Amino acid sequence: MSNRTLGIMMGAVALLIVAVAVVFVLVLSGGDGDDVSGTAQPAREASERDDDTDSARETGGDDDDRDRAVSGSGICSENRLVTFGDDPATVFDPIQVGDASTAEYTAEIFGGLVTLDLDLNVVPDIAERWEITDDGRVYTFFLRDDVVFHNGRRVTADDFKYSIERAADPANFSPTVLDYLGDIVGVRDKFNGRTDEVSGVQVIDEYTLRIELDEPISYFLQQLTYTVAYVVDQEQIEQDPDGWTRQPNGTGPFRLKIFRPLEEIVLIPNDRYHLGPPRLDEVVFTLAGGSLSTRFQNDEIHIAIVPAVELAGVLSGESELAEFYRPAPQLAIFYLGMNVNEPPFDDPLVRQAFALAIDREAINEVLFFDAAIVADGIVPPTLPGYSEAISSYQYDPDRAAELLAQSRYANDMPRIILTFSGGGGDPPDNLQAYQQQWREALGVEVEIEAIEWSAYLRELRRGELQMYSAGWIADYPDPENFVGKLFASESRLNHSGYANDRVDALLDEAATLQDQEARYRLYHEAEQIIIDDAPIIPTFWTVGHYLVRECVQNWVDPGTIVPKYRYIEIDTSGE
Amino acid sequence: MSQGLAGYIIRRLLWTVPVIVAISILVFLLLRLGPLDPVESILGQRYTEEGADRLREKYGYDRPIHVQYLKYVQNLFQGDLGVSTRHQNFTVAEVVIPKIRVSAGMGVMAMVLVFGLGVPAGVFAALRRGTFLDPLTIGFWLLIDSVPVLISAIWAQWLFALQFGWVDLTYGGVFHPNIILPVFVMSLPGVAGVARLMRASVIQVSTEDYVRTARSKGLREQTVVVSHVVRNALLPMITVIGLALPGIFAGALFTELLFGIPGIAREALQAVLAPDFDVVLGLVLFGSILFVFANILVDVAYGFIDPRIRLSAARGS
Repeated sequence: MSNRTLGIMMGAVALLIVAVAVVFVLVLSGGDGDDVSGTAQPAREASERDDDTDSARETGGDDDDRDRAVSGSGICSENRLVTFGDDPATVFDPIQVGDASTAEYTAEIFGGLVTLDLDLNVVPDIAERWEITDDGRVYTFFLRDDVVFHNGRRVTADDFKYSIERAADPANFSPTVLDYLGDIVGVRDKFNGRTDEVSGVQVIDEYTLRIELDEPISYFLQQLTYTVAYVVDQEQIEQDPDGWTRQPNGTGPFRLKIFRPLEEIVLIPNDRYHLGPPRLDEVVFTLAGGSLSTRFQNDEIHIAIVPAVELAGVLSGESELAEFYRPAPQLAIFYLGMNVNEPPFDDPLVRQAFALAIDREAINEVLFFDAAIVADGIVPPTLPGYSEAISSYQYDPDRAAELLAQSRYANDMPRIILTFSGGGGDPPDNLQAYQQQWREALGVEVEIEAIEWSAYLRELRRGELQMYSAGWIADYPDPENFVGKLFASESRLNHSGYANDRVDALLDEAATLQDQEARYRLYHEAEQIIIDDAPIIPTFWTVGHYLVRECVQNWVDPGTIVPKYRYIEIDTSGE
Repeated sequence: MSQGLAGYIIRRLLWTVPVIVAISILVFLLLRLGPLDPVESILGQRYTEEGADRLREKYGYDRPIHVQYLKYVQNLFQGDLGVSTRHQNFTVAEVVIPKIRVSAGMGVMAMVLVFGLGVPAGVFAALRRGTFLDPLTIGFWLLIDSVPVLISAIWAQWLFALQFGWVDLTYGGVFHPNIILPVFVMSLPGVAGVARLMRASVIQVSTEDYVRTARSKGLREQTVVVSHVVRNALLPMITVIGLALPGIFAGALFTELLFGIPGIAREALQAVLAPDFDVVLGLVLFGSILFVFANILVDVAYGFIDPRIRLSAARGS
């Protein structure tokens, strides 16, 4: 009976699947027409490939290999970089940007008075030079007269005055303005509604801008490289206050061509860029899609991150991905903080004992395949102002036990809780390793506790955590951002409660000094004192693990937000 | 009778109002009274009292909780679902609707696939009852069902993208061919359930008198199976469609995570972790409404299929 029924059933299934496929292809070919020529390319390639392989499947798969070969060279055949990114967390408004991914796009589209080069030095952007008064409080910027917004309008000092006042306007709720521009006279007052004007920003003439600070800070130029200080187009914002960020009119090396939320961001060169136009024809950030490394292997993307499970193989050279591996040290440090006002960490001997008792080299080798950098200091090695001479406590369990025995809490150790931010499950392996090493060297049982991120931040800020696992990523590339922000006794980011008069004096002196080398020396001295006092135990400087196609020229990850895509170029010669 | 059904539907719809209100109050309180603080997350280590006050004022978190809730409901009636804090300066609608579109598109495709594969498999198994082909078919789909998406997604990526090169993993939208693989991965575990129900349904219908009558009239076996057995066996499957709808929305999490698809499951996870109050609330309300309505739909559909249920509904019991 049912041989025929069976046939019908199976036929129906086949029909259904074919129908679904046909609908796809129809919708796709319809959708392609709407695309701008440049971006339709990947979609079209992919659909062609898929159609081809469909027919290949029916005819026996002869064409399969040829298809693969074509797509393999495809990604390096155009001067077009395909990389990955996160969906921007905010609109492309420089004063709203708080997250790293939005900052990365924004830094390519906009620009400010000064910028960073790939070695993280402050270099001219729209200001071609500047003068600083001897007291370090007044900066005079001389702007280039050939800088234009993407739409061709010339940038003048008035645009900067408008941009900074807009950032400080309480109605705009900028989350970053106080951090980076709060030292300019009048910014804080305006933000708190006490005044309408930012008096510290004065337009001297069309191309001269003066900025006055409440007190001298020698890292002010570094702060000006952050997006909140970028120049925006007043005319555009006033014409279209709600929609302007969809087609932002900046001064940066790239223009925003396409932004499809959740899908992709496409940047194209600003050919009139005053520091030299980009070499690429296009940069594509894919915001969604499957595993980066699989897409990388499948020739869909130029740059990827090494997945954790592949890291060992890549580092040892066994993985086929090893040849593409590019490590990039980040401007970031992980550390363990201890509250110096709470027992047992109010006794420096206990803190030092805890620092001496952990074997970071061993943890690096076993858990991180030696790919992290043991933090023998606080300021990361790629940051300008780093010093090799700084040294931290090296693993010495005997000395650790000795110090603990001399401490006030030798026979009366209170309960110790190490807090980290996380969800359920086991604590991170490295925290468990520290726990184990403290148990072995000191005979102390440390409890590890996870709390939710926003609660963690709150307790950290209020100084309620006895011991905590934390990290710090540079806001701007200056040692002050580590040594000063985290350890000055008055700093709100000083979560350990550390206070040392000598350190404060050094930091104050360094903040006003304009001779960079002399400044760095003061920070080095402060850094060594802090490490010896051990309010924190520096553990690791982080390293980014990238995969980069060989045809991508001049790729670097400087470890912080730097406009960097204009240097990149795809070698289309095919080696 | 039809009036009775209409009354029944209206009564059911009215009942959804207190349900939705209760859910919204509960979730609202759970979010606000817990340790979560979106402002803390936005500012991170940049936190200052003055900056935080500004933001609390912006989002209305500085007001008493009942005022916040009433304000939320008032906005809701004006079609305003609130603002996202994870995606600053985007409204909840701007954040959520494109993602619902993506998930709904994939959900519909997955549903077509689940039924397109499950129904024929069920019919086949039922017709082959008593032979080894019956347990083989059902067993095969159960085996597929027992592989978690977490595993099958990675395996499918490796096989179809890297080894065969048939697909790319770059996300190109719901109507891009690259969506085929995730839709397949997401659908396959659902086939077994449909196949088993269909099998049971076909077996039950096969024993009905009218099937025997049809056979005794001398109709061709094919006609009997297609127009009498399968057609009637399909009726109960309508209810499964209704019930599968919320399941497909909910079950998409791993597919969305592993294929990097910007759907609502991934958004919901990130919104909870952020935390992003209004987005979480919006998604919970959306999910609840979907679920409640799917249930009503199922109950009404039952009425159409089984006259006994229709009758009791008409009596108002």
